[in-house]
Amino acid sequence: MDSDEEDYVFFGTPIEREEEITSRRKQAAAEASGNLRSLPPWKQEVRDEEGRRRFHGAFTGGFSAGYFNTVGTKEGWAPQSFTSSRKNRAEVKQQSIFNFLDEDEKAELEGTLGTSSQFDTFGFTAAEFARKQADKEQKQRPSAIPGPVPDELVLPASESIGVKLLLKMGWRHGRAIKDSRASSLYDARREARKAFLAFASEDVKAPYPANEPDEEPESFMTQPVDNDTQSSKSLPAFVCNPKQDLHGLGYDPFKHAPEFREKKRLHLSNDKQHGYRKAISIKDSLFGSKSGKAAPGFGIGALEEYDAEDEDIYGAGYDFEETCVEEDEEPSRLSIESKQSSRLSIESKQKVVAKDQGVLPGFKVASVSDYQLERFDPPIIPKDFVPHHKFPGPLETLKKLDVPSPPEVPPPDDSNLKLLIEGVAKLVTRCGKLFEDLSRKKNQSNPLFSFLSGGDGHDYYERRLWEEHQKLGDQAKLSLDGKHSPSARKMTAEGRGKLLGEKPLERSSKKTTSSSIASREFQLQFNLSDTFKKPDSFSKLPEVAKPFKDDPAKQERFEQFLKEKYEGGLRSSGYSSASNMAEAARAREKLDFEAAAEVLEKGKWGKESMVSTQPLDFLAARMQFTSGGLEQVKDTHAEDLVTKEKYPRREEFQWRPLPVLCKRFDLIDPFMGKPPPAPRARSKIDSLLFIPDSVKDAKPEEDAITSRDVPAAQTGAQKTIEAAEEEIEIVAENVERPVDLYKAIFSDDSDEDVEDTNTKKVEDPEKKIEVATTTLNRLIAGDFLESLGKELGFEVPPDTPYSTNKANSSAQIETPNSDAGITKVGTVEGHGTFCAPNVGTGTSLNPEQETTQGGESPKNESIPGKPVRYSSKHTDGLSENISGKVNADKFPPEDKKVRSPSSRRRNWSSSSSSEDERSRKHSRRHRYRSSDSYSDSSSDDRERYHSRSKGKRKRSSREKSSSSRKHSKHHKHRSRDSPSRSHHGSEREHSESKEEKRKRRN
Amino acid sequence: MSTSELPRKEANVLKGHEGAVLAARFNSDGNYCLSCGKDRTIRLWNPHRGIHIKTYKSHGREVRDVHVTPDNSKLCSCGGDRQIFYWDVSTGRVIRKFRGHDGEVNAVKFNEYASVVVSAGYDRSLRAWDCRSHSTEPIQIIDSFLDTVMSVCLTKTEIIGGSVDGTVRTFDIRIGREISDDLGQPVNCISLSNDNNCILANCLDSTLRLLDRSTGELLQEYKGHACKSYKMDCCLTNSDAHVTGGSEDGSIFFWDLVDASVVSKFRAHSSVVTSVSYHPKDNCMITSSVDGTVRVWKT
Repeated sequence: MDSDEEDYVFFGTPIEREEEITSRRKQAAAEASGNLRSLPPWKQEVRDEEGRRRFHGAFTGGFSAGYFNTVGTKEGWAPQSFTSSRKNRAEVKQQSIFNFLDEDEKAELEGTLGTSSQFDTFGFTAAEFARKQADKEQKQRPSAIPGPVPDELVLPASESIGVKLLLKMGWRHGRAIKDSRASSLYDARREARKAFLAFASEDVKAPYPANEPDEEPESFMTQPVDNDTQSSKSLPAFVCNPKQDLHGLGYDPFKHAPEFREKKRLHLSNDKQHGYRKAISIKDSLFGSKSGKAAPGFGIGALEEYDAEDEDIYGAGYDFEETCVEEDEEPSRLSIESKQSSRLSIESKQKVVAKDQGVLPGFKVASVSDYQLERFDPPIIPKDFVPHHKFPGPLETLKKLDVPSPPEVPPPDDSNLKLLIEGVAKLVTRCGKLFEDLSRKKNQSNPLFSFLSGGDGHDYYERRLWEEHQKLGDQAKLSLDGKHSPSARKMTAEGRGKLLGEKPLERSSKKTTSSSIASREFQLQFNLSDTFKKPDSFSKLPEVAKPFKDDPAKQERFEQFLKEKYEGGLRSSGYSSASNMAEAARAREKLDFEAAAEVLEKGKWGKESMVSTQPLDFLAARMQFTSGGLEQVKDTHAEDLVTKEKYPRREEFQWRPLPVLCKRFDLIDPFMGKPPPAPRARSKIDSLLFIPDSVKDAKPEEDAITSRDVPAAQTGAQKTIEAAEEEIEIVAENVERPVDLYKAIFSDDSDEDVEDTNTKKVEDPEKKIEVATTTLNRLIAGDFLESLGKELGFEVPPDTPYSTNKANSSAQIETPNSDAGITKVGTVEGHGTFCAPNVGTGTSLNPEQETTQGGESPKNESIPGKPVRYSSKHTDGLSENISGKVNADKFPPEDKKVRSPSSRRRNWSSSSSSEDERSRKHSRRHRYRSSDSYSDSSSDDRERYHSRSKGKRKRSSREKSSSSRKHSKHHKHRSRDSPSRSHHGSEREHSESKEEKRKRRN
Repeated sequence: MSTSELPRKEANVLKGHEGAVLAARFNSDGNYCLSCGKDRTIRLWNPHRGIHIKTYKSHGREVRDVHVTPDNSKLCSCGGDRQIFYWDVSTGRVIRKFRGHDGEVNAVKFNEYASVVVSAGYDRSLRAWDCRSHSTEPIQIIDSFLDTVMSVCLTKTEIIGGSVDGTVRTFDIRIGREISDDLGQPVNCISLSNDNNCILANCLDSTLRLLDRSTGELLQEYKGHACKSYKMDCCLTNSDAHVTGGSEDGSIFFWDLVDASVVSKFRAHSSVVTSVSYHPKDNCMITSSVDGTVRVWKT
């Protein structure tokens, strides 16, 4: 290099080396922070960000400066450091024109704008004057510190050092330090005025120093604070008032209630006209102004005369508190100061008021406080509110009670018309006037209803109406009176009768000439029966007792029916208003009534006695064929009554905590190692197919739990103990043997012994083999697929359902809907179990079986598996007899080993889960019954009968639930079908026990 | 504990909240207490000396519940702004905010290790939030409730939530089960007995119900107070001898645990008692009320 260098001729500056650059950079940094700044511009060197002095051509600007000739950095323009707007709000920067002006321009502007304030002699002088006055007053005023502390010791600094400095710099009092503004003139004047006022009011109060410590701070302190620019303005003269009230330091009683300040002022100005005047007069004398008409707007300035303009201007912006002379803080002083009687009276008044606790002196407790927080409570629903529309009859009747009774009128000859009138009257009283109007309008042309519009029988109608009102009113009154003290009312015969539950008998002074004997008889009977109040039982259950509420006439008839049924007494031949009904209809109705009454009775007793779900079902069924449909609300209410005893109800569902949660709770994930739950299915079919395995894996645990719900009441259970025991052994055997798929596939030697143990259970070997081979094929393919998928981390979709399985599931799905089916749930459950042995001895009925045994033998694959299920069932059911521990011990390993072929199981569980869904609601509602139905016997026949008896009901509920299920959201599926699983487990248990029996018989 | 040892004397009044105080909670050793309220603040007090120690502000709406870790280093709070705030106690800074609830959050609790915050929300869900990671996503959402979840309790292994749908649901993490106890009445607040064997549920039919957790049996009902429209707390005394709860008329009730008789009843506040919290060891209790005060009661 050295030799070469000599040969070259160098032009320009050599490229600097790295070290130089870094050293330069350091230098640049040092310079930037240090002295370079202070250099005059023409001496400063232009450097780029590296600290180099880089020339990049005269035409492009000479030396490069900053970051590529910008003031930014590589990251761009250095942003203002972010301040969270939550904690400290970004200050709203008020821009003024000065932000955009150059120095010289500013100077220019300053001149034009500044003139007014600079030459505003008034503002300045006023401020000066105020200051001087304040100073003077400061000296005059008695010492703030009571006691013998000499004032000379505590001398206030006359001028702060800051002021002195400012003065030295050419600042004058009354002048802003900062830039002047357009408003500065006004502000300065205002300040001055304030200062004056402060001083003036001080002056007034000087004799009796009950001054306004609660206001002074506001007028002087708050103003500088609220406006940033104000603080830079000339300081107002500050008069420190000794604190003489009993409030805390800085406490302003009117802080949150500025309106009181105003009120107080008004109050004072009204009551203490004199004192107020006096204050003014003092000020007037002070300022030399003789104008008395300036009400609050005095104190404009010493050198100014009042005029209308001034009053206008300052009237608005004026703060009342400054003129407010607060004598009331020290009433005693007040009284000393002036002996006016008015003041004295005020004083006494104040003293009285002050006695009230928590009331400021001079204040009264408002009778109507407008400061109270207004709270709008939700409307109170009256107790007797029924959530369906009812004509406001009863209310009306209460009002109409005072209406003088229309003259008694003999009923019309026509008994039909009479009945009609009575019926209508009754209805009208019940449903209100509206009903009358409606029916009048409706039946305008009908001559039968002419009595409504003043035709024939109108008088009688009126009378009846009144009577009905009376009757209803009595009832209502009675119920009302029950709450009030009875002594409050004067006791009349009528009242006593009311109390005793009697109804004043209608005077039978009817002209018998006109009324037929039959009708009179009826009338009498009717009245008699009405004489008695409703029995307590009915008033207790008013909601339940009105199943036909939507049809008042029917309800009325029903009540009549009830009355007759339970109260005894005379019977009329027919119902009052049902007389015009067809015989058949009446008969049907009577049946309805009979049934409803039964329900009611049961519902009533259900409160005290054992809970029975019967009435519920009954009601639910009733609802379907009563004409208008029962009130849904009533139904639920009845349900409430009946099921009240049931609470609290306990249900158990599957729930999967996520691994992280378990980790955070320092627990072992119960689902550890299980594949994560499938993502939420998009459609119902998906959800059926992709039931996550974890759900099934936890089944043994579930069964263990459900066994608590379903007591081990299987009659055959005892007998199966031995079987179960031996099965357990098999289980153990099976479990211990690892399911080595490939070994199972490629070696046949293990077939023999397994077969030996199970041959007796094979009933149809040929068929079995056939099915088994197909399953084996599936198995091989499926497992390869799955193992591959697992390696790749995929979720292998489940196989298509097996043939038998299909049959099962389809049967399960169909039966509930088909009327041709055996129409019972038992079959739905049993169907699969019955057909399974026939079709293929459960090759696919119990996929778990085959998965445990799956690859081992084509012939026996499913049979040994069966005991696995049984054993689990039986040991659960007989947890006392057989050690449940065996089960518990065996199962977890089984779970783990079996896991690999679990995709096959999905199939089975999908069908079961669909069944779950259907049975879920059913199981919820009929929980109690279901438990006994399932546990009472495991014998086939009994089961069958049992379930047949309930089949209808179950079916209906099933249909309901399945239909509702369709609309339910998918994400609820998992949580939803989980509850049923426990019940389902019990169902399955049964079917399996049945199946087992069957096999044993074989 | 005899009746005379019930905390019935007012020892201190903690004033400072503007507006209703919605919850008051002792810390784990009972030396301090926290209160939160409509004024969007959480306040830390020394209830025994009646000193206000610190105010935590950040919530955008009312704060409905607050809970402190056993080591007193962190707070969590929730409220109307749908967020759960995770605070540092000493600095008063928000360490993390957990967003995700679709509605107001009614209750929060730390788990035993203070590693998880579980919140109960108006969106019918319980959500578990991880305090250890920086993720602000819930680590678990439990949405099997059918209505607003009002209250949440945690044991070492379980999450228990009480909901307006009338159920108290226990989520057992160990065995992966959800146990639902349907009480038939909206559940306002649940609290665990000190032996963790029972749940006391405050239902909106003005009844406190004591449930046996293992069987789901209704052990006792406590009546006499008014609780129909407010979220009000209930709790057992630290000896599990009495049940206490507030009333909407401002009084405090003490029931005998076993025979459900009202042992003591006194008027404590001028308005609805929103929260009661019993000292973990001493006979001391704090109550908070809509009247804006927290009162400390001692024997």
